[in-house]
Amino acid sequence: MILRPRKDDHLIVGKYVGKIVVGIGLLMAIPLLTSLVFGEWDTALDFVIGMGACFTSGYGLQVLCRTEKDLRLAHGLVVASGSWIAATLLGAIPHWLSGHEGSYLNAMFDLMSGYTTTGLYLIQDLDHISYGLNMWRHLLTYAGGQGIVVIALTFLVKGTAGAYRMYVGEGKDERLLPNVIETARAIWLVSLTWLGIGTAALTVTGLALGQGPVRAFLQGLWVFMGAWSTGGFAPQSYNTMWFHSPIYEIICIVIFVAGSFNFALHWALWLGDRKELRRNIEIMSFTVTALITVSIATFGLSHLGVYPDAVNLFRKTFYQVISAHTTTGFSTIYSRAFVTQWGPVAMLATMLAMAIGGSACSTAGGIKGIRIGVLTKAYLQDVRSMISPDSAVVVERYHHIRDMVLEDRVVRTALMITLAYVTAYAVLTVLGVLLGYGFTQAAFEGVSAASNTGLSCGITAPDMPNLLKWAYIVAMWMGRLEFMSVLALAGHFYAIVRGK
Amino acid sequence: MMRRTLVAYALLVTLLLAPSVALAEEHFVAPHVPISENALTSAELVDLPDMFDGSVVIFRGEAIGEAMVRGNWAWLHLNDDAYMERNIEEGAPLAGLNSGMPIWVPASEAAKVSVFGDYRHGGDIVEVRGVFNAACPEHGGDMDIHAVHVEVIRRGREVSDPVSSNKLVWAVVVSLAAAGAFVANRNLYRIRESRRS
Repeated sequence: MILRPRKDDHLIVGKYVGKIVVGIGLLMAIPLLTSLVFGEWDTALDFVIGMGACFTSGYGLQVLCRTEKDLRLAHGLVVASGSWIAATLLGAIPHWLSGHEGSYLNAMFDLMSGYTTTGLYLIQDLDHISYGLNMWRHLLTYAGGQGIVVIALTFLVKGTAGAYRMYVGEGKDERLLPNVIETARAIWLVSLTWLGIGTAALTVTGLALGQGPVRAFLQGLWVFMGAWSTGGFAPQSYNTMWFHSPIYEIICIVIFVAGSFNFALHWALWLGDRKELRRNIEIMSFTVTALITVSIATFGLSHLGVYPDAVNLFRKTFYQVISAHTTTGFSTIYSRAFVTQWGPVAMLATMLAMAIGGSACSTAGGIKGIRIGVLTKAYLQDVRSMISPDSAVVVERYHHIRDMVLEDRVVRTALMITLAYVTAYAVLTVLGVLLGYGFTQAAFEGVSAASNTGLSCGITAPDMPNLLKWAYIVAMWMGRLEFMSVLALAGHFYAIVRGK
Repeated sequence: MMRRTLVAYALLVTLLLAPSVALAEEHFVAPHVPISENALTSAELVDLPDMFDGSVVIFRGEAIGEAMVRGNWAWLHLNDDAYMERNIEEGAPLAGLNSGMPIWVPASEAAKVSVFGDYRHGGDIVEVRGVFNAACPEHGGDMDIHAVHVEVIRRGREVSDPVSSNKLVWAVVVSLAAAGAFVANRNLYRIRESRRS
């Protein structure tokens, strides 16, 4: 029997969504300040209106939904997914007011793409937008990478047992420290340390490459945010091709590969456990699949003779494919060049890399390395069982922060989530084909959206069908939250209608 | 001394590039676009890279961002999209995403460009004539145009940032509403705390 949610359930969900919406409003203070510094008065008003809407809604919800009860797991999942919708609806206000978006749907698409660290965009005339709006685009992808619930946990929510449920609902399940609030703060400590170092490295490189100090700093900061969050937003429409520099590309690779690693791994390294880097199943899985996909793409491109020599071939292939594998979506080629230059083999390799994605509990999307590793181990275990004597008990182990025995429960969960991703990829591919796009392009763009990568082969554009925009928004949202929270929200609404 | 060095560099660059440009002109293979009449668009170049690879092309667009000077050479980025003549901040209608082409030119030529497109500026409209590379061997396989001459066709301009009066009204209304919600939430919290104690 399905139980209809009681009044208290609605109050709990409303209260915590309200807190997270207030957090989004506070976040807008940074682009507002940026606009004021650069004298962009009209843009500053966009952010004042956006902040006002967030505070009115957020505090209003907290006034209307007063309750002392703590969250249960189901509440946490609904709060996590619901707050992403609220954050998208309200966060899109500055985009919409800027006049660079064709519709509110387009503005929401860009917001969801930013929060989910996807990187696809519909904003028009990007090369003429204000510093304030560019700051907002990159800030929301940086915040989304850590998780907007993590922000709320860090600053706005007192330590309750229910806090962990919201954290889980956002697709993270690692506790770096015993207390989930401390865990959220540890995530920020790691991210902010990287922010300082990464921005400094990119700024100095930008200066050396001929940029002025202000642009070198701002673009360094934004490119860092796009790379670390594996988001893929860049301040210019040329993406990272703008810089025409192998040094800049290497720094970006270091940042987005680090960003795609599990926060638990970062924390282990932070505490001095360097062995973890060699033993961790996610790193091993990433290394193997990265080698395979880079090799396939290199084979395809060398067969076509696109690049004039081996060095350039490797530079271009490695950058795009690793960017795809970490679900970053930075590129140094034109979107259409995937079709007009790279061809189906290299596109297939890039798609495969995007589909697999980075690590769990990181800023990355996709199926995740740990699931690929666990499923591979499960297959090996089955093969070993088949060739062992009947009386033998075959035990498979893997290392992720600590040594673990592979249990059926873990394999089942990994398989379920993997199937959910594969289904999402397939549905978006079929939808793209039904709407008139070629199979390879529809698959490429669909996988990119659902894996939160953001590489495009040209389908994502302001004039694409609205149905496809909606489908990509939902796919980005589901992919980022790893399906369970979104299904919990759907179940919540179903229970409201059909429950007893 | 400085001037002499510059002249020497310019001469050297001309001597080095002239044969390659001439050679490329000989191998021009774009059958439908006479180079003297039509500038090619970035969409055409990206869609048909093999057709134009190694050809001398004319390309025209708005200089955006900045010139990134690397020694005696520099990168320019020219956008030839719908916002080239008038951008959205100046009231142009929405007409899709940006598109353009990176141009590798002598730094002395890049210096002719003085206004670069951004939020506050419509950039100089620039025309270049140079060799199109579908995958430039000199620049890591980037798609680019190597040009030796830059012509500024139209100077850029400042773009004003007028404050919309409608937005101003909305900002005041929403701020008042936010302040009201904040005060109500704080007062309710205090009442609850006092009841507890």
